[in-house]
Amino acid sequence: MKAIKSQAELESLRKKLSKKLNPKVKIVRVCIGTGCAAKGSKRLYELLCEAAKEAGENIKVEAKCVGCHGFCERGPIIVIQPGNIIYQRVEEPDVGEIFRETVLGGRVVERLLYEDPKSGKKAKTEEEIPFYRAQQRIVLAENGRIDPTSIEDYLIAGGYGALSKVLNGMSPDEIIKEVELAGLRGRGGGGFPTARKWRSCREAEGSDKYVICNGDEGDPGAFMDRSIMEGNPHSVLEGMIIGAYAIGASQGYIYVRNEYPLAVEHLRKAISQARELGLLGENILDSGFSFDIRINRGGGAFVCGESTALMASLEGRAGEPRAKYVHTVEKGLNEKPTNLNNVETWTNIPAIINRGGKWFASIGTEGSKGTKVFSLVGKVVNTGLVEVPMGMTLRQIVEEIGGGVKEGKKFKAVQTGGPSGGCIPAKHLDARVDFDELTKLGSMMGSGGMIVMDEDTCMVNVAHYFLNFLKEESCGKCTPCREGIAQMLYILDRITRGEGESGDIEKLETLAGLLDETALCALGTTAANPILSTIRYFRDEYKEHIAENRCPAKVCRNLFLYEINAEVCTGCGICKKNCPEIAITGERREPHVIDQEKCTKCGTCFEKCPFTAIMKV
Amino acid sequence: MPTVTIDGVVVKVEEGSTILDAARETGIWIPTLCYNPSVSAPAVCRLCMVELERGKRKQLVTACNYPVRSDIKVSVSSKRAVRARRGVMELLLARAPESEELKELAARMGVEGTPYPKVTESQRNCILCGLCTSVCEEVIGCSAIGFAGRGVDRAVATPFRLASDECIACGACAVVCPVGTIQLRIHEDTGEVEISPFKSRAKLLFCEECGRRMVTEPLAKQILSKVKIDWEEFRERARLCPECRRKKTAEALGLIASKSH
Ligand SMILES: Cc1cc2nc3c(=O)[nH]c(=O)nc-3n(C[C@H](O)[C@H](O)[C@H](O)COP(=O)(O)O)c2cc1C
Ligand code: SF4
Ligand code: SF4
Ligand code: SF4
Ligand code: SF4
Ligand code: FES
Ligand code: FES
Repeated sequence: MKAIKSQAELESLRKKLSKKLNPKVKIVRVCIGTGCAAKGSKRLYELLCEAAKEAGENIKVEAKCVGCHGFCERGPIIVIQPGNIIYQRVEEPDVGEIFRETVLGGRVVERLLYEDPKSGKKAKTEEEIPFYRAQQRIVLAENGRIDPTSIEDYLIAGGYGALSKVLNGMSPDEIIKEVELAGLRGRGGGGFPTARKWRSCREAEGSDKYVICNGDEGDPGAFMDRSIMEGNPHSVLEGMIIGAYAIGASQGYIYVRNEYPLAVEHLRKAISQARELGLLGENILDSGFSFDIRINRGGGAFVCGESTALMASLEGRAGEPRAKYVHTVEKGLNEKPTNLNNVETWTNIPAIINRGGKWFASIGTEGSKGTKVFSLVGKVVNTGLVEVPMGMTLRQIVEEIGGGVKEGKKFKAVQTGGPSGGCIPAKHLDARVDFDELTKLGSMMGSGGMIVMDEDTCMVNVAHYFLNFLKEESCGKCTPCREGIAQMLYILDRITRGEGESGDIEKLETLAGLLDETALCALGTTAANPILSTIRYFRDEYKEHIAENRCPAKVCRNLFLYEINAEVCTGCGICKKNCPEIAITGERREPHVIDQEKCTKCGTCFEKCPFTAIMKV
Repeated sequence: MPTVTIDGVVVKVEEGSTILDAARETGIWIPTLCYNPSVSAPAVCRLCMVELERGKRKQLVTACNYPVRSDIKVSVSSKRAVRARRGVMELLLARAPESEELKELAARMGVEGTPYPKVTESQRNCILCGLCTSVCEEVIGCSAIGFAGRGVDRAVATPFRLASDECIACGACAVVCPVGTIQLRIHEDTGEVEISPFKSRAKLLFCEECGRRMVTEPLAKQILSKVKIDWEEFRERARLCPECRRKKTAEALGLIASKSH
């Protein structure tokens, strides 16, 4: 394609592309996001392509690669136009039927539709599925609708319209004012007001300035940023170009987590497409503004996502945080003014420019505007990516969108904010999710992890799990983080082993306070959140562990026993056969017994007993 | 010049000086471990915490790298600052309970012992302050040592933990180490000095007159590369220890004196 030189040329290209779209063309969209791809969706895509080819010229069918729909739990997902029919958990043998019935015949294959477990009703389109219905999608709006490897698709959806709008009549100051009016706060964790950061960087002294997109996403289980980069890479670029123009930066970097090859591939393609069209590079849209973007692969450690560590890594040094009281907007990458924003933050920009800051600010709460993408995982029925307006209650997210706790178990807590977030108990389920509310509850927004926990979860064990993650990921540079986390983990270790002592809780609290006040970077200062929040809401559970050597959820191995209920046991002998320690004895058809001396609590018998005769006591 | 008020004492400092600079000016003591004026402050030991007052907001900061840009008020003796420094010291004592240097510093801070057990391994009491690596890189220009591993496994080491060819055995790292982790070992049999625990070795030069040990060969070479002097003259002078050289010079002077008479 030829480079575009003006707003008018861009609009006429957009029109031309839209015209080429034949509404009669049938489209089959196969999700090849990482979740669906892991379940074999690429093969489905190939099969559908073959079928489309065989079907001949008369009926034109396209099989499109698309980004994540969010409903990965139900993947592979296929959407068919016309009708917007959504099929879930599609397998290879289904392809023939889908093609014959739906694509060619226009009939719905009932068995592949989503069925609401509560009402038993089948849903034909996304809109009918509660998982999607309660969501509001700005950032993920085009995910699953456009082909992330096609700039044409992005243009038809209105892409780069915001960029041409700002280059044709908005001053940098006006852009920053619009973002300020929107009330956008950073989605990378801290919730820092984006406009304020941009302004400081714009006003910082020095001519070479940088903008960086933080796509390191190191939180275990999180994949919001990945899905945006994989599913709609041009939206990230467009946000960055607009930001660079507002700030006065000429070079941009996207720092992508090393484990995200597909995101890198799609971003690379998008960058070269944008360059070809003259939307990136020298003299963008003949405006006199030049800007280019480079991609860097992440350093592999969680802490590399921290701003100063990320910049050190970009400079080719060890990806470790630096102790500095001078802000990176003044002295960042190569000691030059640098503006770093998260992927999701950047992606919100085009929408804000297109629809106005006022519109954006009409969504959300007093202090938190717009939407937030969460990765909803754990013990909920529907897991996946969800985008909701700020201020939605936790209950709505867990029950309405998530479909409630799995297997009819009782809800115990929801962990938000990634490894250094906190656990929020049932009594706060009606809290409205925004930056300030979550912080008040002793947790945080973080980058948007949301893990639902049921009654079988031990909260001391949860704290131990997250702290252990942080211990592995601490860079070890500063004393409080390196030594303090190790000390806290040592105490938690003892408590979960049944060797807790009185005074342990207080010791944990002291250490937590010390880290908060003295650690060098936010990994250390927030490391105590998992402990503090679980102590705050589940202090009794800690006490039971320490004083009574009891794990009420029966998770901590040393604090409960496996026993066979003689009244239920049929004497089938399955447990005896499977016990690796040969700890179970009993005659056939007679109740069996576990020798507690030999039992290592591996849990094999508990899993294997077909009659649920084995209990944790 | 901005004014810094430390525990009520007022001092004026150059813009860009640190709180620690200002405190030293007033004679108020703030404990430090990872600070050395000859290298850039890594601010990693976190021992020098003081409380900074900015309007209504009070905040703990590290004195060794907090730049003074405007008039500020600082408290070294506030409860919060003392508690933070004590906490950090207690963690350090737990890591290196055998270090006499640490115990001494702790005592000076009024910290007697630690409530924490030893849960992390330290290589000969190393508290990972980073002074050795900074000196080697920034002052000596060798980068013979660096940090390896992360978290509690972090340690100072040579690349691949092998004796380093970059090391000139100058001993600067041993001099700046606050807890004596790094030691120089003289091997009389081979005429070498070893930088322990890094295993790096270098040949020593001996005085040609009295046989006394002098600097290492690579160090002498490096000095030569920096000092403007020609090799012959240098070798002539470097052959002797300072004392013998002085004697020689005196003799020579005496000789000149007697000749002229
Ligand atoms: C240990 C640690 C890890 C972080 N990892 C990420 C990350 O993976 N992605 C991210 O966007 N921000 C991460 N952050 C936050 C960044 O430091 C920074 O605040 C953020 O990218 C700023 O962007 P925003 O203003 O758009 O939120 C991390 C922070 C810490 C302390
Ligand atoms: S707080 Fe932890 S991760 Fe951050 S600099 Fe200190 S040791 Fe490294
Ligand atoms: S598997 Fe269950 S029912 Fe069978 S012997 Fe063991 S405890 Fe009894
Ligand atoms: S002795 Fe070796 S490691 Fe130590 S500062 Fe000198 S050159 Fe560096
Ligand atoms: S060896 Fe000494 S100077 Fe080097 S990091 Fe350890 S304590 Fe600091
Ligand atoms: S990967 Fe397909 S829906 Fe998420
Ligand atoms: S002396 Fe300031 S942090 Fe070490």
